[in-house]
Amino acid sequence: MDRQTTAGAMNDADLAQLLSQVRTGESDAWGELYRQYAPAIFRFCRRLLPAREDAEDATTEIFMKVRQKLGTYDASRPFTAWLYKVASNHCWDTLRRRRIRQDLETGDVDSLPLEHPDPSQLERLQAEHTSKEVRTGLAQLPDRARMALVLRYYADMSYEEIADTLGVRRAFVGVLLLRARHQLRDALSGGGVANARKASAGGTP
Amino acid sequence: MNQSDGHFDEMTGLLYLEGQLDAGRASEVSEHLRSCAPCREIVHALETEGVWLREALAVEDESIPARVIAAPERGATHWGWIAAFALGTGGAYTLWSGFVEPWLTQASQAGFTQGNLLTMLFFTGAFWKGWDAMRSLMEFMAVATLGMVAVWLLRKQWQRFTAIAFVMGALVLGALAWAPSAAAADVEHGDPGYTLPAGQEVKTDLIVAAERTRIDGDVDGDLIVFSNSLTVNGHIKGDILAFGAEVRVNGPVDGNVRVWCQSFTLDSAVARNVMTGTGAGEFDEKSTVGGTLTMFSNSTQLNGRIKGDLLAFAGDLNIGGSLGHDARIRGGQLSVGPSAEIVGRTKYTGYHEAEVSPGAKLGSPIEFTEIKRGQTYDRPRYYWHQIMFWGASFVLGFAILLVAPGFFFDAEQMCKKVGSAIGFGALFLFATPIAALIVCATIVGLSVGIPVLLFYGVAVYAAKIFVGAWLGEKLLGAGVGVGPALGRLALGLAILRGVRMLPYVGLLAGLLIVMWGMGAVVLALHRRITTPVVVAA
Repeated sequence: MDRQTTAGAMNDADLAQLLSQVRTGESDAWGELYRQYAPAIFRFCRRLLPAREDAEDATTEIFMKVRQKLGTYDASRPFTAWLYKVASNHCWDTLRRRRIRQDLETGDVDSLPLEHPDPSQLERLQAEHTSKEVRTGLAQLPDRARMALVLRYYADMSYEEIADTLGVRRAFVGVLLLRARHQLRDALSGGGVANARKASAGGTP
Repeated sequence: MNQSDGHFDEMTGLLYLEGQLDAGRASEVSEHLRSCAPCREIVHALETEGVWLREALAVEDESIPARVIAAPERGATHWGWIAAFALGTGGAYTLWSGFVEPWLTQASQAGFTQGNLLTMLFFTGAFWKGWDAMRSLMEFMAVATLGMVAVWLLRKQWQRFTAIAFVMGALVLGALAWAPSAAAADVEHGDPGYTLPAGQEVKTDLIVAAERTRIDGDVDGDLIVFSNSLTVNGHIKGDILAFGAEVRVNGPVDGNVRVWCQSFTLDSAVARNVMTGTGAGEFDEKSTVGGTLTMFSNSTQLNGRIKGDLLAFAGDLNIGGSLGHDARIRGGQLSVGPSAEIVGRTKYTGYHEAEVSPGAKLGSPIEFTEIKRGQTYDRPRYYWHQIMFWGASFVLGFAILLVAPGFFFDAEQMCKKVGSAIGFGALFLFATPIAALIVCATIVGLSVGIPVLLFYGVAVYAAKIFVGAWLGEKLLGAGVGVGPALGRLALGLAILRGVRMLPYVGLLAGLLIVMWGMGAVVLALHRRITTPVVVAA
């Protein structure tokens, strides 16, 4: 799934015209842009932020930022990429403001041993869990792990974009993603992540 | 290869799959995969895991909330703005023609020659006849809308400037309110008591704050007193304004007397009007009031002579003196003694008919309206009123939804937090008026206290709207846009109105709904003016 299908499905010409109308201050055009993209951004935020209300707030705030920053958008780049970048930055800022940032995930990821997966176990895990369970497991992951997976496998961001958003070296993104996959597997197969997370967050659920 | 057994590691497999290896390394891995079944299995498992993740993330298992959809419509719904503007304009006109002009007109009649608008608002507004005009539904809506538009326009500045603006505004208004009287006032602080000796005369306004105050001398101006006990024996040539536990006026007053106290006794002549808010009031036989007597009292004995109208809210009122004009009385018990004389008409609304002594002289028979206890289910008018109440709530809810959809949906969502909403609601429901009245006890605080009370009144009235909207969403589900939101609101309010109509429990349910909705409003406001710090689930 790429951004073009997760976000509004406007063609380039229509979008360019709409954006130019928004820049000239046409409120109808702004409303149309919002209607086209707000649902996708809400879904995106919903996958990143723990509560539905947070995602609602974030959607509104992201579009306020979009309105303010639209002048900085480079029309030679895809609009959806820019939009998701604004959204992911906002969500990451939101999560960073929270008190339960995991100290564990700030530096120790490289040193944590990764068990080599058993392909058959991996396939069984995939077969046994529904999408809803995966999403539940995802919600239990540390913020950065969840961010990495959503940015990569939902918003289809490049490693460079993920590195930029999360403030890490590009070479570290692969480690983050692999670590996040392992944490998700643990969460789905028996709550290992929840325990690790609890320990890192000083007992906060 | 990274591992000693000749296979590459999982990280290499992932980077290979995601196209993150440089060309040389990628072809090396590709070559290895052709000949290594275990590594092929690993890469295949990682690939299917990636697909599995994408599919799981792509599943849409939640509806888009109405708030997210509705937010931009406020920009596009021109007719909504036009309606809000029209209502707002109507509100402004209503405020001016219904309140300000009549107040200004009444001010001079009521003797507020040295007063100012805030004083008039406070001292005459509560009993002003023009409230009747406000019963018009559209006028009320218009005023409420005007207020909401103002709040909405200021919402962005709310967080940053609210405290400064509020304080500065209060100070400016307070200064304006204070200036006319304070400019030339003699301010005295008792330690602990203050006495103006007989034979002395204060040639300006006299302001006293003391535990006990005794005015035996004369005051050629207004007398303003904050004191536990006040006795006035001298001649006051201006007004008396007093707050205290016990107030006694034995000396003549050329102006008005306005008193808020536990016990009030008048034993002299007041040339103009008297307004009292007292637990117990006594107007002795020698007392006269040249103008109107307005009272809020638990128990009052009225033996003096009132030359103007009598307007009374009293639990127990005994009239033994004479009234030179009309009387409008609402209370628990009215007794008219044998020596009483009422020249004009007497309208009395109460639970029991007045006890009128045969010796009393009445200009016309007392027009009695009985207050019915409990609900009157047998009257069609009762049901008509219920429909009107429902309609008024719905129209106000509609206006809030149009003007501030974000806040509307916020408050609606906050109703989900039933416990905390009711808890905060109860706190604010009872604490706010107390705090506002305490603030109002100082003249400077009036400019803060009165707006707080007005806002409080609107919040109490609007509270059920959010509970109704929440209830509607519970029953009908969360549809998208303003239309479904209105449908949910209409249904929810109708159910709440129905609950409110229930005998006995209706009143309690009404109180609970007000607390619930008010708490939701408080939580929504709090959410909007603070950066949320939420513990992740």
